[in-house]
Amino acid sequence: MRVKRSRALRWLCTLAAAAALIFVLFPVYAIIVGSFESTNTLFSGTFYWLPHAATLDNYRTVVQAQSANVVTSLVVGLGTALLALVVAVPAGYALSKYRLRVTVVLVSSLLIAQIVPSIVLATSLFIVFHWINLVNSYLGLIIADGTYAVPFAILVLRAFLFSLPNELLYAARVDGATEWQSFRLIVIPLARSAMITVAVFAFLSGWGDFIFALTILNGSGIEPITLGIYTYLGNYSTDWGAVMAAGVFAMVPAGIVLVVAQRYIASGLTAGSVKG
Amino acid sequence: MTLSRLTSRRKHELAGWLFLAPAIAYLLFAFALPIVYNLMLSFEQTSPATISSLTAPFAGLGNYRFILNDPTSRKAIANTFWFTVGSLAGQFLIGFALALLFSLRFPGRTLGRSLVIIPWLLPLIVTGVMFRFLFQLEGGAVNQVLTSSGIVHHGADWLDDPNLAFWTILVANIWLGVPFFTLLLYSALQDVPTEIKEAAIIDGASPWQRLRLVIVPIILPVIEVTLLLGFVFTVKVFDLVIGLTGGGPANATQLITTWSYNLSFQQFSFGEGAALNNVLLVLALVCSPIYLFLSRDSLRRSSGVNP
Repeated sequence: MRVKRSRALRWLCTLAAAAALIFVLFPVYAIIVGSFESTNTLFSGTFYWLPHAATLDNYRTVVQAQSANVVTSLVVGLGTALLALVVAVPAGYALSKYRLRVTVVLVSSLLIAQIVPSIVLATSLFIVFHWINLVNSYLGLIIADGTYAVPFAILVLRAFLFSLPNELLYAARVDGATEWQSFRLIVIPLARSAMITVAVFAFLSGWGDFIFALTILNGSGIEPITLGIYTYLGNYSTDWGAVMAAGVFAMVPAGIVLVVAQRYIASGLTAGSVKG
Repeated sequence: MTLSRLTSRRKHELAGWLFLAPAIAYLLFAFALPIVYNLMLSFEQTSPATISSLTAPFAGLGNYRFILNDPTSRKAIANTFWFTVGSLAGQFLIGFALALLFSLRFPGRTLGRSLVIIPWLLPLIVTGVMFRFLFQLEGGAVNQVLTSSGIVHHGADWLDDPNLAFWTILVANIWLGVPFFTLLLYSALQDVPTEIKEAAIIDGASPWQRLRLVIVPIILPVIEVTLLLGFVFTVKVFDLVIGLTGGGPANATQLITTWSYNLSFQQFSFGEGAALNNVLLVLALVCSPIYLFLSRDSLRRSSGVNP
């Protein structure tokens, strides 16, 4: 009797979770369905729960118009990941394994840096970049996008490297390894999983960035996919089909991460914000 | 012997500083410089012509006076306040409920838990566009469900009615933030020792009592940090609103961030934009002492290997 009731209760939980997931997933489902609809269907005033007269026209439009932008976004995302790793791995190591007087000040600054709103940085960076010729450049955009990822990356790596046994570093020193050799041959190989977390986060933030792309790039030259979507929204009429197909393209990395690297996301999120 | 020890310690410290050098350089260039420059800008009389000259004539408190008297800026500040309060309340309640649900054992919980983080992974501008599609007056799924189920006769103009648009961006932002709350609170719930939960059951505590008197007090530090980070995210929201409503209609969804963008990049009043930025920065930083306090253990922590 008891067993039966608890089994029913479990399925009730499944039902509740399924209901919640409908709300979570439906917007994503709707944009995918919409991306296969023709312009006529999209402006017919009816939402179809399943694709109505499915077409690939929107994707054709987007592949033609946005392929270069997808490449731009990839470059920016990869550049942001690289920047985050280059800055954060040595810094995370120094902040966890060296007793430096600057540690408390620096870690506090990193916590506060995470709070600074991007629009505050964007306004100034636009003018500063204007002055040193970084407007409309990959480098400028990557430096700006790094503001999402770098403080977080350092904190995650610091939290992770605390767990690296000091004995390993002592042993290396006894064997005559230089500081740099210890870092390169011990720290980097052992920090691999945290480095993946950081790189995935940084890539997603560079890929998904909109505010810096909108402010620091002013229309000429490079344009990431997020800006491409915004352009489709238009001032007077929205090309809904193209908007949604481009939106689906922009969601692809998130989908890949969800399937391939999800555990890194969950672990990184908790490490970076609670324990870090 | 002493001498060589000393030099090796000095070498060690130097190495530490060298490892930190890229981070310090980056923080100075990408955070400290813009914040200081933004402060300077806010006291300058800028015009489109001054953008290329890095400095402009001194304006005293003129830009701040403008912000305080500008109805749109005031509206944006008020909207940001209510948007933050509403978002945090919704995100916390739903996120906590889901975290509790997923910490029970039931078929499909692992799959459910991994799917629930999807909203949090998507580019924010895409989320904005998605909700714009759902909340359209005609052909939007929301209105279609409401009219076909007979709840209302005519679809509501969720995006262009000044009385409704604010609720639309609020719903979208809650949707966006729930995964973050769910994930953090779920992992906190996993850390509650089983013995304590079992002891409470043996003592005859009802589920509600167990939650209120046992579980919440234990995970309170995580709840605090999560709310704090949620606050920080919400104060910064920009892309979502630009994608959904662009701050309209009639500034009903204008936030500090979107109005600051408008001032600086559409009206080219960088001084006024910078002044509004500083209002936002102060609002966001108000909570930084609390954040540092909550992170105090981590701040002090050190496992150094000094020679």
